[in-house]
Amino acid sequence: MLLRDCPVISKRKPESMALFAVFQTTFLLTLLSLRTHQSEVLAEHLPLTPEALKVSVNSAQQCLHLQWTVHNLPYNQEFKMIFQIQISRTETSNVIWMGNYSTTMKRNETVHWSWESELPLECAAHFVRIRSVVDDARFPEWNFWSSWSSWQEVNVQDSTGQDTLFVFPKDKLVEEGSNITICYISGNIQNDISCYLEGEQIHGEQLDPHVSTFKLENVPFIRKGGTNIYCEEKQRKAISNGTVLFVSKVLEEPKDFSCETRDFKTLICTWDPGANTALDWSKQPSQSYTLFESYSGKKKHCEEKNRCNWQITQDSQEIYNFTLITENYLRKRSVNLLFNLTHRVHPMSPFSVQFENISATSAVMTWKVHSLGDYFTLLCQVELHGEGKMIQHNVSVKANGKYLLNELEPNTEYVAQVHCADDNHFWKWSEWSGRDFTTPEAAPSEAPDVWRTMKSGSHNVTLFWKPLSKFHANGKILFYNVAVENLDKPSRLEHRSIPAPANSTELTLDGCSYQIRVTASNSAGASPAAVIVVSAAPGNKEIEEEIIEGTEDGFSMSWKPQSGDVMGYVVEWCDRPQDPLCDFQWKKLGPNTTSTVISSDAFRPGVQYNFRIYELSTKRIAHLLERKTGYTRELAPSDNPHVVTNNLTSHSFTLSWKNYSTKSQPAFIRGYHVYLKSKEEQCQPGAEKAVLPDDTVCCQYKIDNPEQKTFTVENLKPESFYEFLVTPHTSFSEGPSGTFTKVRTPDEYPYMLVHVIVPVVICVVLLVCGCLLKSQWMKDKCYPDIPDPYKSSVLSLIKSKENPHRTIMSISDCIPDAIEVVNKQEGSKIQSLGTRKSLTEPELTKLSYLYLLPTEKNYSGPGPCICFENYTYNQAASDCASCGHAPVSPEAPPSQWGLLTSSENLLKALEKNYMNSLGEIPAGETTLNYVSQLASPMSGDKDSLSTNALVPPPCSEYKMQMAVPLCLASPPPTENSDLSSITLLGPSEHYR
Amino acid sequence: MDMSWDSWGMLACLCTVLWHLPAVPALNRTGDPGPGPSIQKTYDLTRYLEHQLRSLAGTYLNYLGPPFNEPDFNPPRLGADTLPRATVNLEVWRSLNDKLRLTQNYEAYSHLLCYLRGLNRQAATAELRHSLAHFCTSLQGLLGSIAGVMATLGYPLPQPLPGTEPTWTPGPAHSDFLQKMDDFWLLKELQTWLWRSAKDFNRLKKKMQPPAAAVTLHLEAHGF
Repeated sequence: MLLRDCPVISKRKPESMALFAVFQTTFLLTLLSLRTHQSEVLAEHLPLTPEALKVSVNSAQQCLHLQWTVHNLPYNQEFKMIFQIQISRTETSNVIWMGNYSTTMKRNETVHWSWESELPLECAAHFVRIRSVVDDARFPEWNFWSSWSSWQEVNVQDSTGQDTLFVFPKDKLVEEGSNITICYISGNIQNDISCYLEGEQIHGEQLDPHVSTFKLENVPFIRKGGTNIYCEEKQRKAISNGTVLFVSKVLEEPKDFSCETRDFKTLICTWDPGANTALDWSKQPSQSYTLFESYSGKKKHCEEKNRCNWQITQDSQEIYNFTLITENYLRKRSVNLLFNLTHRVHPMSPFSVQFENISATSAVMTWKVHSLGDYFTLLCQVELHGEGKMIQHNVSVKANGKYLLNELEPNTEYVAQVHCADDNHFWKWSEWSGRDFTTPEAAPSEAPDVWRTMKSGSHNVTLFWKPLSKFHANGKILFYNVAVENLDKPSRLEHRSIPAPANSTELTLDGCSYQIRVTASNSAGASPAAVIVVSAAPGNKEIEEEIIEGTEDGFSMSWKPQSGDVMGYVVEWCDRPQDPLCDFQWKKLGPNTTSTVISSDAFRPGVQYNFRIYELSTKRIAHLLERKTGYTRELAPSDNPHVVTNNLTSHSFTLSWKNYSTKSQPAFIRGYHVYLKSKEEQCQPGAEKAVLPDDTVCCQYKIDNPEQKTFTVENLKPESFYEFLVTPHTSFSEGPSGTFTKVRTPDEYPYMLVHVIVPVVICVVLLVCGCLLKSQWMKDKCYPDIPDPYKSSVLSLIKSKENPHRTIMSISDCIPDAIEVVNKQEGSKIQSLGTRKSLTEPELTKLSYLYLLPTEKNYSGPGPCICFENYTYNQAASDCASCGHAPVSPEAPPSQWGLLTSSENLLKALEKNYMNSLGEIPAGETTLNYVSQLASPMSGDKDSLSTNALVPPPCSEYKMQMAVPLCLASPPPTENSDLSSITLLGPSEHYR
Repeated sequence: MDMSWDSWGMLACLCTVLWHLPAVPALNRTGDPGPGPSIQKTYDLTRYLEHQLRSLAGTYLNYLGPPFNEPDFNPPRLGADTLPRATVNLEVWRSLNDKLRLTQNYEAYSHLLCYLRGLNRQAATAELRHSLAHFCTSLQGLLGSIAGVMATLGYPLPQPLPGTEPTWTPGPAHSDFLQKMDDFWLLKELQTWLWRSAKDFNRLKKKMQPPAAAVTLHLEAHGF
């Protein structure tokens, strides 16, 4: 076993030292006479230098054990002496420790003394020397130091190779938190050496060129396998050697040391052992625990770390004085416990817990306990748990316990348990023993709370009742019995049984008064009856509704009793008035109560609750007393009315929101605010300026009657924009700030205009209609038809005599100078003579127009130009050359010709003219209009056209002519040209 | 990481066994199977032990603490000279005959097993002791397997010379730090031996495998 400190061994025991002190005076007196002689003798042999100094080493404990003697002491008697010891390290001059050691000794007696080095002794050579002095009052003349003994060298270095590095101490066992010094001896190794503790480099100081020391303070516990300290040569980077420092946790004193008995045969001692101080590598086992009882002198080594059983002998020992000793290699600790055995009795838990005679309200509980002897009484505690409650009872028990559990609730599950302790000297309760049981049902103890609602104008009565509380139900309610008795005329009782959990039933009664009795039944019986009377004349008069203010806690209300003789009052309401089922509620109050607070978890802010207060007469007839309404908390209206604008005039308009319901709002609507925005700065009378949340200023009209749902805004300006907003207001707020609606007042003149213009328009229309109806007459009067020569009688006479196929005026007989198509519209149908093919495309039109160009070979340029126009037909024609045109001579430059005769340019020019012909003929155009006074010879008789019409007629009295400028003259048609297309121009086109 | 190595090791072992499963009955059908199957089993066992040792060494070196659990720790082989060395010159290794090869394996594992049991005395944690005990049992199995191969081939087991029994009782100058170093070397040498044994038995296996033509002939003769 390792010891913490080196043992300092002296020659004498302390007891003998004390004895010596007692008799010291006696000895001094006795020896006084010899003093002179002795002084003479000692003086001859001085000094008293310690001799035979031997030094031994305990490397593991880092101790030097010294022993020496003093041979020169005279006489064989004890002398009190002081030895001064010097210890040097490395060399004799380097004294590292010097101290005195006092002792008494005899001549030639060996003195032992030990010294513990903080540096491992292997790390350096140590040297020791001693000198002495007689510290004895009997011999004051010897009281001087002797000379030093010679130095004794202690060198415990291993005799291993000089090329090996050593680290000391080897495998040292220390306690956590202690300080330790280590060293390495490098021998002949020349390289730098670094040392590490668990990978972290440590720094020390050099003792000599080959030895370095490292002081480690407050070393921690890292692992059971020890803390590794190792050194390596820097250049080789190879571990050279190391040591393992085994750091033990500090041994703790056992806590909560306690002993008790459960049967007077065994004492069970327990404690909290604290940390385990065991180390691996067989360096230290777990701390041991030993129980020592001082009265009996017995000792027991405990197998377990936290408990120990001590056998109680039959020698009637009552008082025990235990010492619990724990120790490991480094430390020893103990705790003490003194107690009387009878005060440390921990009874075993009761057993055989039973219940007898279980009724709806009581039961008998019995149990047994383990006997502790005739002189012991146990205090047992019975606990009854049920319905969330706990009841405790204490019972004194010798062997068998019994307790009546009463005041139980019917149909309730209980758990009863019992534990016991020593009644005389309470130490600990035993563990609980318990069981559960259930009491049987009993008849309901109270009548159900019944109320009714009656529909006005009918005899339908709905009965409501509240389910009985568990306390009053005494079991599971199976059904409710309703018995109806006619009070006005004797009749048979009507019974009705409604299965639970229904809470209402509807009765249809006639106009008589009825007494209704309601009972609730479970398996054990029926409850007392709840009685209610329905009067034949309910007498529900009109009672004004009173507004009350509610709070979050409910509605506080009071009422005035009407008659002094009442059974009580009933307040009824609906928890959810918006729902169809409404969750009907009522509260019954005593006759002396004229106020109450109605509260409900279902009450919500912003919901209007209506209350009816009934008075119950002694005949159990209910009369409506008062009506109340209110909110627990009024909320701001969530929406504004939907407003319709009516009667919009230039100076006013009317706003209407008749669909807005004031009843379904989250607060009492006290009125409305009408906001009007306009460009006008001043508000109309009756309005006042208001600033909106968005800092805009507008006019506010106040309506204090919530039922007034129309408002007329007057004195407005015509043709102005106005914006309005109607919002309800309650006693504390108004509706949301919604969007404004725009309105524009109309102009005030349109009305006048309508009154003037409409009649004028009607007159004009009538006039036009009249004209149309008399159009023929008007035509005849204003512009009569020009007679048609074809239809003249003269012509018909010629026809009949000569060739019937011959016409008087044939186109083939004419040699046209030019033909102009006048008022020919795009897309007009041109009928081919033979095929009647419809030609609608403009291209075709252009082509046909092209062929209508002059073909006369002897055309000789410009001739005399005559312009005339028939405005009646509004037709234009132009003749050839000179009308408004600069005459173009044949000698015109060929280039011009070439340009103009190119078909493209020609077409363009034609197209242009043609297009112009569709519209007005612009002034300044180069064409001249020749308009015939007569229609074309073919006009009015298209069918008469024939193929020989292609032959140009030699002449024409009435011909249409178009003056085509020379620039537009086209070359004569080729052989392929279809001259028949000339005939495409029917008279009708000319007339257009 | 350990779990990953465990899983791969187990998988490799299982695959090896499965790979050789079809071969074993085929060889059995030729009559005397020879030493082939037992060599194969011994080879598989070395691979399994190799995987098992990897896990054990990690746990044990962590238990020893730094620097023993550091990856580049390479201490001098101070007290581990008595451990049988697995490293050998390649030419020498090739020139070993079967008997010598098997004998060296047997002797090495006999010594290593004995040393390994010494570790169990120092380890304090139950988990570590359990792992060590399990590995010792497996190593004992390998030793028996090698003995079986030697017996099949007709080689006698080497008899330990009196007084040469390996001991695990360090001298008074043997510090715990050096003991930890020895433990490190023991585990390292054991791992090297398992690597070498795998090569040894692989070589033996190939050497003992009959020529493919002969196998075919045998199969035909048996109606395959």
